[in-house]
Amino acid sequence: MRITAVLGMILGLGLAVPQCFAADRAPVRIGVMAPVTGEWASEGQDMVNVVRLLAEELNKNGGAGGRLIEIEVGDDGGDPKTAALAAQRLVSAGVAAVIGTYGSAVTEASQDIYADDDVLQIGTGSTSIRLTEKGLPLFFRTCPRDDDQGRVMARHIKALGFKKAALVHDNSSYARGLAEEVRALFDDQSVAVVFYDAITPGDRDYSTTLTKIKTLNPDLIIFTGYYPEAAMLLRQKKEMAWEVPMIGGDATNNLALVDIAGRESAKGYYFISPPGPSDLTGEMSEAFMAEYQARFKTLPSSVWAVMAGDAFKVLALAIENVDQPTGANLARYLHNDLKDFVGFTGPIAFNEKGDREGDVYRLYQVDAEGRFVLIP
Amino acid sequence: MEVFIQQLTNGLAVGGIYALIALGYTMVYGVLKLINFAHGDLFTLGAYLGFTILVSFGLGGRIGVGPAVALGVMLVMGLSALAGHIMERAAYRPLRKSGRLSAVVSALGVSIFLQNAIMLVWGAKGLAYPADLLPRFVIPIAGQPVPLLRLVVFLTSILVMVGLYAFINRSRVGMAIRASAIDQGAAKLMGIDVRQVIALVFMIGPALGGLAGLMVGVSYGQITFFMGQLYGLKAFTAAIIGGIGNIPGAMIGGLLLGLVEAFGAAYVSVAWKDAITFFVLILILVVRPTGLLPERVAEKL
Amino acid sequence: MKKPGAGRMVQGLQIVGAVLFFGIPLFGVGPYWLGVLNQVGLYAVLALSLNIILGHAGMFHMGHAAFFAVGAYSTAILNTVCGWSILGALPAAGLAAGLFALLVAAPIIHLRGDYLLMVTIGIVEIVRIALVNDIFGLTGGANGIVGIARPVIFGLRITRPHQFFYLIWAFVALTMLLFHWLENSRFGRALNFIREDPVAAEGVGVNSSRYKLMAFCIGAVWAGFTGALYASQMRTISPGSFNFWESVVLFMIVILGGSGNQKGVLLGAFLVMGLPELFRGLLDRFPGLQDARLLFFGAALVLMMIFRPQGLLPPKGRRYRLPPEVAR
Repeated sequence: MRITAVLGMILGLGLAVPQCFAADRAPVRIGVMAPVTGEWASEGQDMVNVVRLLAEELNKNGGAGGRLIEIEVGDDGGDPKTAALAAQRLVSAGVAAVIGTYGSAVTEASQDIYADDDVLQIGTGSTSIRLTEKGLPLFFRTCPRDDDQGRVMARHIKALGFKKAALVHDNSSYARGLAEEVRALFDDQSVAVVFYDAITPGDRDYSTTLTKIKTLNPDLIIFTGYYPEAAMLLRQKKEMAWEVPMIGGDATNNLALVDIAGRESAKGYYFISPPGPSDLTGEMSEAFMAEYQARFKTLPSSVWAVMAGDAFKVLALAIENVDQPTGANLARYLHNDLKDFVGFTGPIAFNEKGDREGDVYRLYQVDAEGRFVLIP
Repeated sequence: MEVFIQQLTNGLAVGGIYALIALGYTMVYGVLKLINFAHGDLFTLGAYLGFTILVSFGLGGRIGVGPAVALGVMLVMGLSALAGHIMERAAYRPLRKSGRLSAVVSALGVSIFLQNAIMLVWGAKGLAYPADLLPRFVIPIAGQPVPLLRLVVFLTSILVMVGLYAFINRSRVGMAIRASAIDQGAAKLMGIDVRQVIALVFMIGPALGGLAGLMVGVSYGQITFFMGQLYGLKAFTAAIIGGIGNIPGAMIGGLLLGLVEAFGAAYVSVAWKDAITFFVLILILVVRPTGLLPERVAEKL
Repeated sequence: MKKPGAGRMVQGLQIVGAVLFFGIPLFGVGPYWLGVLNQVGLYAVLALSLNIILGHAGMFHMGHAAFFAVGAYSTAILNTVCGWSILGALPAAGLAAGLFALLVAAPIIHLRGDYLLMVTIGIVEIVRIALVNDIFGLTGGANGIVGIARPVIFGLRITRPHQFFYLIWAFVALTMLLFHWLENSRFGRALNFIREDPVAAEGVGVNSSRYKLMAFCIGAVWAGFTGALYASQMRTISPGSFNFWESVVLFMIVILGGSGNQKGVLLGAFLVMGLPELFRGLLDRFPGLQDARLLFFGAALVLMMIFRPQGLLPPKGRRYRLPPEVAR
């Protein structure tokens, strides 16, 4: 009895899900798949804020080529299984394209679902190499790839003259991938890797690991994980009164790093990243950041949310320039016709794999005031 | 040898925190035979309350660092105790007469609720206690620099635990708690208000959890709304290793867990640290099926 | 006392409900809700298999995700490395999970209540950490394994949500049928005896360790089968999907629904997996509340336990028809 009642309820709801609609110059739905809840909730919420704000602005000015843009948010919870459902949900809602998401493993779980339904997807924070090596014609990303990053990181480490490094990752898909890239580039013994292991993300106390590394006496610690752990490492390194320099990857490009570590501990920390929200130059970026600041009282905390903004920009352009906003049409435009477009994070064009072309990585260092300073 | 001592202090510092949280699990379990899965989230709540009191209100700047910390500790413990009390009234008391497993699911519900409530109130972004909130000193132990704060945290947890142990074993209220743990029915017959005892236990445990949260916040800086999950799991492990329901057991379990983690990471593998910890847990339980210091009363199932 | 006619009517309604349920994909339900139902189905099978261990044998087992993981990874490895088909790998996945359960459960089966609970949590964490650390170089670390094939049944390749709907829910039905027999067999009765009074059970010659171990293995084998289905549905699996929290969710499903009662467990799966999605739909109209989805879910769990402490559908006692001469 009860089961039947529940079934009926679910059935009713299922029927109530709106069907897709497609008419000429009709509004276009764009999905944002982002970790709005869960561990990466702050990244996800920033992504949604950025895209919503841009869509509002665009619609106020008449939309993309006369089409209004409707934003549909799908919460992936930072988890592959939830992401698969979120993707199904966005497909059901009739989106033409999807922006997102942050984590590579999460994006991976959704790729097939979008591909099966002719929905274009633009990844925004998923830097894992594999994602664009599968030959999916409708997948793009506005973020760069881990191998780019590894190359740039290894080059800078060599240029800065370090010889003996401890390489630490956190066993996440991203951090491990980057660590392996970098280690492979040191195979020529240009830099000796004296320590290679993974810390557990979410722990608070890394002094054990730091003590262990210290006995090996490296002249550099490379950490390829995310900012919370990088900050804890910096802080506890300082507490041990150990002054070894540290370098990290783009997932540490987050203003919270300095808050957590404290200025004194963060001073001198290097990282490789595309330009962060506060370094974006150009009239468009500055105006948008000012508006974002006015609306949400803070800047997006990392560059990945801005990458979602770039994804929206290129999508809007594509929608404006195609007859029918289908996945295939939009993809054709992005592959072939998108040239010389300048987004928030610099020029954007896509190669045949859907990867972003050009070199976006830069070397940064934290100064005594806790600012991220671009090192030319 | 120097490294060994350094790792020893690292392990004890972490273990002290685990032990303090484990006390909350073990006290509640001792009296109610309930695993309070929401305890880890009360720990998180303590960390966030501490942030609001010490950082957002800038209490240190107004009344000086020393009094501010003292007041902050008291407020955090008081508010955590209050939260624990509300939780007991709302989610556990109605289930006192039902099976133990229904209370476990209710506790999981409270855990989900609290975690998301904290996220909604304080935001999904983690917060950071400023590094210069307290003056920092480093003192050398066996030639290795050890942050004074780490030492203070460790000594505080030991002090609180010893105090609690004395309270349970020496005071009249403590006796009532012990009596209720052994046999609630008999305790009632002896004129002990078991309901009040339970209410009290549900305030002491969360207060200690809240204190641990505050100490983690102050000494490590970073707090997130999901931090209670990992700490809660570790502390629960510690309570089980020691023999759940047993207060000295929780202390020993916590410290031992901290040491196993530290030495596992130092001499085996950093990445396998937690697996080693759980493996040791299983070994201990295979050899001693009710933990190192088993409860005195046979568990009724 | 119900009239016999009422019982028949309830039974009839259940059959009608089941038939209607299997017709859901025909009513134009979108892929999203079918996806939700598929997830509910997978968790229902997992919870039903956990129910043998937790509900019938009364062992506090909070590590069921470990066996699920072993099944999923065995399938993925056999498929992507050795080229086995999904259906070919399915029995192997169950066998692997069962053997694993036998191996890990044998030394701990005598542990009581909460100690067993902690150890099973430990096992699920060890499995996850081993997967993350790319044990034997086979599990792909945090990336997991990608490119798992779709199942092919009688030449039909199962790819779309509605096809999986039939596959998964047919499996749910099969599971319920088999477990129904099992519960009412000598084996099932022995498990219940052990749960209610282990000393008395031993006293009349029930070898409780052996029965408990068997229950563990049967539950694990089934979780392994489910893992195979899951792997082929997701096509990519990673350690994050098999953490301690998944085990907690399964535990909640069994207790919330009514441990020991199949229909209760099924209802539990609908509520625990479906409610958060329903809240998502309902709260869509209030963007501010969307983030509070899980908050409501937590509160709902507490409320449901308070109003139905034995679970929503607690098991009815066994009933036997007395021989007519005794009945009189």
